[in-house]
Amino acid sequence: MAGIERGLGLQRPGRSLLILPDDIFLVSFPKSGNTWTRFLLANLRFPDEPATWANIDRLIPDPTGTAKRVFDRIPRPRIIKSHECFDPRYPRVIYIVRDPRDVVVSQYHYHRKIRKIEDGSPIEKFVARFLAGETCPHGSWGQNVATWLYTSEGDPRFLLLRYEDLIANTARELGKVVDFLHLSAGPAQIAQAVERSSADRMRKLEQQQPDKHGLFKGSRRDLSFVRAASSGGWRSGLPAPMVAKIETAWGPLMQHLGYELSSHSTSGVGEYASLGVVTAAPR
Amino acid sequence: MLGQIKYAVKYVLGLDRAGRHYTIYPDDTFLVSYPKSGNTWVRFLLANLMYPNEIVGFANINRLLPAPGVLSKRFLRNLPRPRILKSHEPFDVRFRKVIYLVRDPRDVAVSEYHFDLKKRYIEPHVSLEQFVKRFIAGETSSYGSWWEHVASWTAARHGNPAFLLVRYEDLLTESIGETAKIADFLGIPADPERLRTAVERSSADRMRKLEKQQVDQWTGTKNTRKEIPFVRAAKSGGWKQALAAHSVEEIEVAWYPLLNFLGYQLQTRELDSKAMPAWVRTGQPLQWP
Repeated sequence: MAGIERGLGLQRPGRSLLILPDDIFLVSFPKSGNTWTRFLLANLRFPDEPATWANIDRLIPDPTGTAKRVFDRIPRPRIIKSHECFDPRYPRVIYIVRDPRDVVVSQYHYHRKIRKIEDGSPIEKFVARFLAGETCPHGSWGQNVATWLYTSEGDPRFLLLRYEDLIANTARELGKVVDFLHLSAGPAQIAQAVERSSADRMRKLEQQQPDKHGLFKGSRRDLSFVRAASSGGWRSGLPAPMVAKIETAWGPLMQHLGYELSSHSTSGVGEYASLGVVTAAPR
Repeated sequence: MLGQIKYAVKYVLGLDRAGRHYTIYPDDTFLVSYPKSGNTWVRFLLANLMYPNEIVGFANINRLLPAPGVLSKRFLRNLPRPRILKSHEPFDVRFRKVIYLVRDPRDVAVSEYHFDLKKRYIEPHVSLEQFVKRFIAGETSSYGSWWEHVASWTAARHGNPAFLLVRYEDLLTESIGETAKIADFLGIPADPERLRTAVERSSADRMRKLEKQQVDQWTGTKNTRKEIPFVRAAKSGGWKQALAAHSVEEIEVAWYPLLNFLGYQLQTRELDSKAMPAWVRTGQPLQWP
């Protein structure tokens, strides 16, 4: 069966995707605004075809969700979605990072939607698994972010965007993408892309097209994929001891990214707490 | 089309080369390094330690300490578990337990230059100076640059009990002690006698002899320029003679935070007056663990 699928090009390329030298990768840890940014980039790049749940896998393909034969027909340069940790083969990368305290809340609700956890499942248990990198196959938040930042920050082929900045000033951040990709889009086109990718519009589309995307298949209809679409929800949604655990594990990395810590528990206890504490001075 | 059918048949029978695409099990251990960092030597050390009754050589090393890149998926599937596999991959989250072998990049550059000449990956007229520039840019290897490789692994795993960082240089000066550490990490029983035998059987001299005898029986040396040996100096610090001063400086300027972190002494003085690496120019550098 797998052999026949391969012969017809129906298989999803996944990790064996043939990467082209002009490919652009839109990378993030899961639940960090990747789908929203996909809509933004699709609406920017293909203004004649507004992005929907039905066409997003063709406009900004996903190696684990788009068939190889579709991949082969996408106009170049391709913009490809990914959640992978650092991969040196990616020629250009837009990396979206989001406050891990919001990411864990978002992933908790997403796992309820896709029936991986029950309603009322304790958040404490989920946070422990989240810290250990057991809630998704793309490493822990700290591993995913650290592998990209330590290898690529400052590289002209690497654009780092914070989800929080995208929320606060979408047009300005999208302008950075336009510059990074040398697109010709002006302010009007940027404004149109922002409008077409608003949380309201994405929610409406989700209601109209509940069967049009692999993400929704078999998932609970009473919970929506597009949830709060805001930042700082952890302040009310995450118990203080859980906040402290996350800050202990990844404090220095969070501070490096400008995420203010609420606790003072980063004294080198967690597995990654040592990142950033010791200064490496040239001899 | 014929190629596609051939591949589909191989795929179904499990005879296609695994490359990067094989099933990884949670109990696998990986011996990982950037290329030309002593990986083959450590494969010999471990194979000799684990199979004292085998004569370990180039002809059977792919079987004894398998390299997934050149083996079939079926072979890998049928290996007894837990498996120990060789890899040159940059960070891969699926590798749970990792021995990470690192070597001074100034020596890696020299070693890779000779290896690439041997393999005919570069033309004989390419100079070492030219090569070093491409080496720093990560253009000489499909596994990324040395910096990207070491940074991705250490950033994600340093301090993790399932991650053992071994320096090639320490393995050279303290062969028995460092091999004992690796054996302990792997849970391989190793008394001093067994360790000493494994180190002896994996000596550079012995490996050179085996290379001569088995040069056509190993994927690493088959169809390569025979006048350039695979087992070369097997030493550290060769860069001091081999590299031009400005090549040394280029490597140090590009990668000194990581060189410092790993304890590789810099030769270039007053680095901060030179052009800084990109991550420093951004103003808010990440610091090394």
